[in-house]
Amino acid sequence: MKKFLLALAPAIFALCTSVNAQDFDYGKFSYDELNSKSYNNDTSAHAVVLKEYGNARIGEADRITVEFDYHVKIKIFDNKGFDNGNIEIPIRVNSDSGEEITDVEGVTYYINEKGEAVRAELNPKNVYTVKDNIYWTTVKFAMPAVRNGCVIEYKYHLRSPYIFKFKSWDFQSDIPKVSSVYQVRLPAVYNYKISLRGFLKLLEGKEYEPQLDRECFSVNGIKADCSRFLFAMKDIPAFKEEEYMTSKNNFLSALNFELEDYTSLNTGSKVKVTKEWKDVDREMRTEESFGSQLKKKDFFKDKLVPVLAGKSTNLEKAQAVYHFIQKNIKFNKIYGMYCGDGVKKSFEKHTGNSADINIALIVALKSAGIDADAVIMSTRDHGQVTKIYPVLSEFDYVVAKAEIDGKSYFLDATDPLLGFGMLPFRCLNDQGRVFSLEKPSFWIDFAIQKETTTYSLDFKLQENGKLKGTISSYLTGYDAYRKRAQIKKFNTVDEFIENYDERMSKIKILKGTINNIDSLEAALIEKYEVEIDVYDNLDAKKFTFNPFLLNKITENPFKLEERNYPVDWGVASTERITLNIELPQNYKVEYSPKNVGLALPDNGGRFITNFNTTGNVFTFSHIIQLNKPVYSASEYPYIKELFNQIILAQKVDLLFTKG
Amino acid sequence: MKHLYFLIILLAAGLAARAQQNLDVSLVPKQLLPYASSVIRYCDESVQVDDPGSQTYRIKKAITIFNSSGDSDAEILVWHDKSTSIRSIKGLVYDGSGKLLSKFSESNFEDAYAGNNFSLFEDTRVMHFRPAVVDYPYTIAYEYETREKQTLYFSRWLPANNTNMAVEHSTFTFICKPGFNIRYKEVNLPVKVQTGTNKAGMNTFTWQVSNLKATREEPYSADPETFLAMVKIAPVNFKYGALNGSFNNWNELGKWMYTRLLAGRQVLAPATVADVKELVKDIPDEKARAKKIYEYMQQRTRYISIQIGIGGFQPFPATDVDRLNYGDCKALVNYTQALLAAANIPSYYCVVEAGSRKVNFDPVFASMNDGNHVILCLPFKNDTTWLECTSQKMPFGYLGDFTDDRTVLACTPEGGMILHTPKYIAEKNLQVRKAELTLDSAGEVAGSMKTVYKGTQYENQEELTYEAPADQLKQIKKTYHINNLEIGRLKFDKIKNIYPELNEELQFSARNYASIAGSKLHFTPNLANRSRGIREVRNRLTDVCIQRGYTDEDEIIYTLPANNYRHEKKPIAISIDKPFGKYTASLTLQGNKLIYKRNMKLIDGTYPKETYAEMVKFFEDIVDADNYSAILVKE
Repeated sequence: MKKFLLALAPAIFALCTSVNAQDFDYGKFSYDELNSKSYNNDTSAHAVVLKEYGNARIGEADRITVEFDYHVKIKIFDNKGFDNGNIEIPIRVNSDSGEEITDVEGVTYYINEKGEAVRAELNPKNVYTVKDNIYWTTVKFAMPAVRNGCVIEYKYHLRSPYIFKFKSWDFQSDIPKVSSVYQVRLPAVYNYKISLRGFLKLLEGKEYEPQLDRECFSVNGIKADCSRFLFAMKDIPAFKEEEYMTSKNNFLSALNFELEDYTSLNTGSKVKVTKEWKDVDREMRTEESFGSQLKKKDFFKDKLVPVLAGKSTNLEKAQAVYHFIQKNIKFNKIYGMYCGDGVKKSFEKHTGNSADINIALIVALKSAGIDADAVIMSTRDHGQVTKIYPVLSEFDYVVAKAEIDGKSYFLDATDPLLGFGMLPFRCLNDQGRVFSLEKPSFWIDFAIQKETTTYSLDFKLQENGKLKGTISSYLTGYDAYRKRAQIKKFNTVDEFIENYDERMSKIKILKGTINNIDSLEAALIEKYEVEIDVYDNLDAKKFTFNPFLLNKITENPFKLEERNYPVDWGVASTERITLNIELPQNYKVEYSPKNVGLALPDNGGRFITNFNTTGNVFTFSHIIQLNKPVYSASEYPYIKELFNQIILAQKVDLLFTKG
Repeated sequence: MKHLYFLIILLAAGLAARAQQNLDVSLVPKQLLPYASSVIRYCDESVQVDDPGSQTYRIKKAITIFNSSGDSDAEILVWHDKSTSIRSIKGLVYDGSGKLLSKFSESNFEDAYAGNNFSLFEDTRVMHFRPAVVDYPYTIAYEYETREKQTLYFSRWLPANNTNMAVEHSTFTFICKPGFNIRYKEVNLPVKVQTGTNKAGMNTFTWQVSNLKATREEPYSADPETFLAMVKIAPVNFKYGALNGSFNNWNELGKWMYTRLLAGRQVLAPATVADVKELVKDIPDEKARAKKIYEYMQQRTRYISIQIGIGGFQPFPATDVDRLNYGDCKALVNYTQALLAAANIPSYYCVVEAGSRKVNFDPVFASMNDGNHVILCLPFKNDTTWLECTSQKMPFGYLGDFTDDRTVLACTPEGGMILHTPKYIAEKNLQVRKAELTLDSAGEVAGSMKTVYKGTQYENQEELTYEAPADQLKQIKKTYHINNLEIGRLKFDKIKNIYPELNEELQFSARNYASIAGSKLHFTPNLANRSRGIREVRNRLTDVCIQRGYTDEDEIIYTLPANNYRHEKKPIAISIDKPFGKYTASLTLQGNKLIYKRNMKLIDGTYPKETYAEMVKFFEDIVDADNYSAILVKE
């Protein structure tokens, strides 16, 4: 019994850690920490943060900076947790100024082979600074003596000139945390909006109420009081990513700060940074890399003359302008809502970021007389945006919205294979904010994007046991987009078809044609004359046949019991397959699978099969339709079961016999 | 000074001559177009040894890109570090008709850190640039030169270094003073070297190729060195920073590495030596002692890559690893060697080309270009044992598919030796599975399944055994493609030997495994081991190379809900026997027992290219057989 109690001790110790406004002592360890074998709240954890403490404030020494201290102590249970001992701190740098990391200290505690507790210090010489590119540098170090059961502790100081983006704090990470505390001291001359994201709750109580520090800040004779905030969480679970989800940034518990206004230290007057959308609207209109660029419609005037020649309707004009921009500016893969080089320069250089390209598109559309506005948004990997007030740093992209004959079209010219009215997959996220030079900005839903695949198979069973006939496919939306991207990897359509043929070993393509490869607004149509090996001969009396010749689903994409986050596919999809088979004259279908008709609640989707036979000819059709781009976690069991039923139905063979 | 002036004029004239070349895409010979995502229009490369300690690399190249797969061939990457300087990068971009679109220079390049993800620090950086052109085809023409302060190794000449790349014309010239001797090896070259003397009185060695057609990626292809055109060059006398030396063969190169890079790096603190002696004092057997020390090393180190200066070839001292408890492959091998030496166990530091594709050290051509990893060899009498020192988990003496069955260079005080690492043969890379399951009338399957993994198949599930039980349960659902899998119990048991063994015991159930249609049960008897087909290749060019063989045996016994079931269609009974593989599968019904047996063996080796079509058929037949759907009907 005593033994049992001892084993429990470390866990009790861990749970009783009290949250304190002060940083915990550096360089101290306990035998309980070293001896613990697993973390009781999550026995699957390979490592756990025992304590994490951050302290951030505005510094006024020789210039205004954000001063941030970070200190953490991590227990590493086994070698799968060793990565936590390899530390990388990305910092932002500019050519003249940037963030700096100083005072890196670290120590590892472990029990050596003789059973003694030992400490190994991190040598500052083994802290490396690596310049990744012109924007980012990484400070890296590996903790010494990392081994199973060790405890590592390290701290550093970060000084940042970027006061607009006060140091955010991630409460949650991929390992669990016993406690995480962030103390923030903000002088009243800087007014930040503080937002908490994620499902977890901050600790509450008297000690977490903001405190006032009198005259703690003084620059140029201006004195200010400070607010002291203490943000804390306990027993924070590890964040585990699930399949088919958008950015984990949407769900990770974290604190963000956005500078709202500040008192100028030179003039003493208040400077608004962001406040309400009407302020943002005004600023964005004059912003050099945004509003000013939107005013450059004259730049395209003469360039569009040949493009618009012969185009009469607004839609034709808009499509021509869209393809013109697609072909003339190549995307440099940099996302942004602000132009990098600006409309003019990027058009001349033939390369630009997403704002260069799409603002060029908006301007060119306007120049062609089309009503077009900018829509700023956040891409899927970047996360969702706050709706209650403007947080501009949450946006990372801009697309165009065109109004043509009473219909809205969302456009993005960064990808030369996207059809008019389609957004790239990365943009299928949440809502966007429409910006025009004249009217106030407003939120808008993106139209649900769709993909459909329709196959039609028409075969005759030959006496030699082979099926001969045609496979036709009709693809729209992302299905067509993906197929076009595949085709464009080859020099010729014939090389694509040859490769396609090689990948389907049972199906031999005798002849193939593909239409509308370059007509991006039309469906992509493939037609193949094929021969399929099904039977060696037709000597037997009975034959089984599985009608799911194409795209058979054999595995359920959803395996877990339950799900915490929505299933986000981004698009609504439909797949339809119709199969027609003519058997030789003296054959008949003896047994056919039962027709299935299943639907998801709330018109969320359906699966339907239908089998018909007349004489020696049978027709089989099936539809899998998923109507929603996003299914909530509560709908998860239904989609999982829908897939289960699809797989079950697809297992059943039909049987035909020689008559 | 006069000479310099002359040289500049010459260079300028050379560029002008190239600049005039018409880069219209329609001038590419028609026979080079099939399968070509890019065509090198011309490429003139040279390496000039300026003095015994430095070299200049120059390139002038024009390449046409035909489609998006070729875009990466247009990217210009210039690697550099502290001992390399880059001069005069510039280039031009043309459209398909050869009309100039834009120019670029060094200011358009981005300089980035080039260490890989798991690297703590490397001093290698890369200048990179990718032209922005929306329409295909397009052509870029560029040139640059780099100067490097070493003559230990020279880059290989590979006229076409990628699949789907054709070459119109490519030349390579090696230039050195008459006193500087080199060895070279031509591989798959249609035209031999041309030697001469240039105006500066330097020796020149020139190779050239024209009209090389594009190759395609072919599954199961051999080491590209066996079919790509290539020239390898190595110095006789060289300088490497402050070090110098000479070699003509592996023995001499191994000796140089041992004396100049390794010797003296293995001193350990007396306390560590005493610890090691204490650790093994009661173990009489030498191999058992080595195992104890290897496990001691595994417990107290981890792999972190750090490459600085000659760290690229020289390990950090053993004392550093002893203090920090981490190191790269060189440092960890050197450290292990030092620990073993403390217990009087001799070992060899061995350089190897690691990767699942087996690449050999060329026994007849010694060069510093071979190898990317280091392992340790213990030359026990009649029982040579090999150690991978960067893993905390690998069993003593087991190399796995990362460094197995290939020639390596052992660096010893007596000189270099070419040794061969052990091979894991098909018969010993075993996966044996036995399952006893019940299939009920609702289609649910349930029971227990035991699987033994041996040889290289040990690694199939090894990673999972280090996960916590809750995560094991989640992840095993992805290993087995059984829908609605519910795990009752999962147990792993490892035997960490030179031929390691992993036992897995699984109790599970899966509803709807069989689909019920009236009185019929439809299901796939092969529950857990279904193969995937391989891609056909028409007009295959290269031999078929199966890197590693294996043997799988499955036996599944289903207990049916009743005695009175019969097969609705012919039960599967198939046997295929080919030089490269064997397969049998059968299904027999005995009362209420349905017995499924499957045996598959893939035999490693190199087979003529004509075999490939047979292999496609082999896998096609296996895919069919593996997916055989049984229909049982109740009488």
